[in-house]
Amino acid sequence: MTLPITIQEAAAALRAGEISSAELTSAALERIAALNGTVGAFIAVTDDIAMAGAKQADADFAAGVDRGPLQGIPFAIKDLLATKDAPTTANSLILDPAWGAGYDAVAVERIRATGASLLGKLVLSEFAIGAPDATKPFPVPKNPWGLDRTPGGSSSGTGIAVATGMALGGLGTDTGGSVRFPAAYCGHTGLKVTYGRVPKWGCAPLGYTLDSIGPMARSSWDAAAILNAMAGYDPRDPTSSKAPAEDYLAGIEGGVKGLKIGVPVGYFFDHPMLDPEAKSTTLAVIEVLKGLGAEVVEVDLPYSAQAKEANTMTMLTEAFSYHRMDMASRWTDYGSGTRQIIARGAFTSAADYVQAQRFRSYYAKEAAKVMAKVDVLITPTIFEPAQVAANMDLNKRMLSPSYTGPFNLLGYPALAIPSGFSKDGLPLSAQIVGAPFAEALVLRAGHAYQQVTDFHLQVPEIAKQGVVA
Amino acid sequence: MPVPKDVPAAVRTMLEAAGLSVSEEEFKAFVEMYPMLREATDTLYVEEVRYEEPALVFTPVAPMKGA
Repeated sequence: MTLPITIQEAAAALRAGEISSAELTSAALERIAALNGTVGAFIAVTDDIAMAGAKQADADFAAGVDRGPLQGIPFAIKDLLATKDAPTTANSLILDPAWGAGYDAVAVERIRATGASLLGKLVLSEFAIGAPDATKPFPVPKNPWGLDRTPGGSSSGTGIAVATGMALGGLGTDTGGSVRFPAAYCGHTGLKVTYGRVPKWGCAPLGYTLDSIGPMARSSWDAAAILNAMAGYDPRDPTSSKAPAEDYLAGIEGGVKGLKIGVPVGYFFDHPMLDPEAKSTTLAVIEVLKGLGAEVVEVDLPYSAQAKEANTMTMLTEAFSYHRMDMASRWTDYGSGTRQIIARGAFTSAADYVQAQRFRSYYAKEAAKVMAKVDVLITPTIFEPAQVAANMDLNKRMLSPSYTGPFNLLGYPALAIPSGFSKDGLPLSAQIVGAPFAEALVLRAGHAYQQVTDFHLQVPEIAKQGVVA
Repeated sequence: MPVPKDVPAAVRTMLEAAGLSVSEEEFKAFVEMYPMLREATDTLYVEEVRYEEPALVFTPVAPMKGA
């Protein structure tokens, strides 16, 4: 059987009666059984819950009940979010199992209400930060495009599951790039939403003032469908926004004619560590959009190198506040990489933290001036393709650029889309950034690009059996 | 704030103040990391930020009857 690889295709096939949710979900579970031991995407697989959801979805279709495009879609949840019918671990020995037991995070509650088939809980970097630690009882995630390469973090399992067709969509979280990194390294689409767009209640924190929950899927259309289910205020999260949510699919076919694209050359395109292919494929994305009618102007977003530092420092200071007591008493229960990164929060002062927030105010004003002149910015998502995991050095990473963190500091929405492949066959990615709450616009731009390219539909060799792109 | 002359001593003091007991290998990694972290943090003290208010918001909580 030819299986659809996008939510959009699957939703159409389900409504045309060409496939059932039970068939789709069974195929996803079979794929998980075949591949999970190799690529390490799932911590827990909830076969019975997934199949019960699928059968309910099929019964609903038969009865004429349609809850929207996620109904009957095999879907999975990053194990940082509480789910009422599966354990929540944060990929850690530290998290009290009682914390996430017996209830759904707001985002999960909303996804469940769509009638999606929930396959289980996905691997992540411990507490959404750090690096895999093979000495701990959790799967080590691997990049399906090269098993020796990092799949990116922290939403590693979601990235792998979507890339391999184990799930057609999933949830990630993003504090400094954790939706966009695995989407980029694994070759699909991921949206970091505006801070406050999706309520965080029921999601274990990393950086309180930066965290966001976002959709990960093959395409911009799919990401829009997922966001439609999740966006909107909830009083349980006081940082969630009362700004009205939109229908993110309503205008997605609107194209980019007249769209003004800002290209921030400084830092984002001239950093000495930027890989030439990461740069050239991003410039090629801009050219494609220009060919579709967009205008392109160079802009300057000053102090973006400092914005990376401010974002990292804010994240680690807030994280260390949350973890300090456990770190003092259970240091070695944390993974090696996790504890060494979070503990950096012990090395900055309270004044440094406040200074980072003063810098944040300044940078936000500078960025607002830029966004008054353009509709979106486009940058590379990653400065190089996925590294060999064994060669990654935590301290050396401090010196590399981050093209994602500045937009967490700003709270802006940012969409990672596949932009091509390196000479070694590894995915590359471009990032489309919008003003606050401009998710519909960045998704429309991403969709326009994906209507004339097919990088987002490429499937790694390891997952090709039974998949037709 | 300049990087302290005796980085190992400064790192040891900050780890102790935070209640963290780390291995010798981890301690060496922190000693290697700390000057980079300090220098990165100091880049945030720029003249343009001098009169900025921090991006911090606190909302006073009204009395909660029956709590």
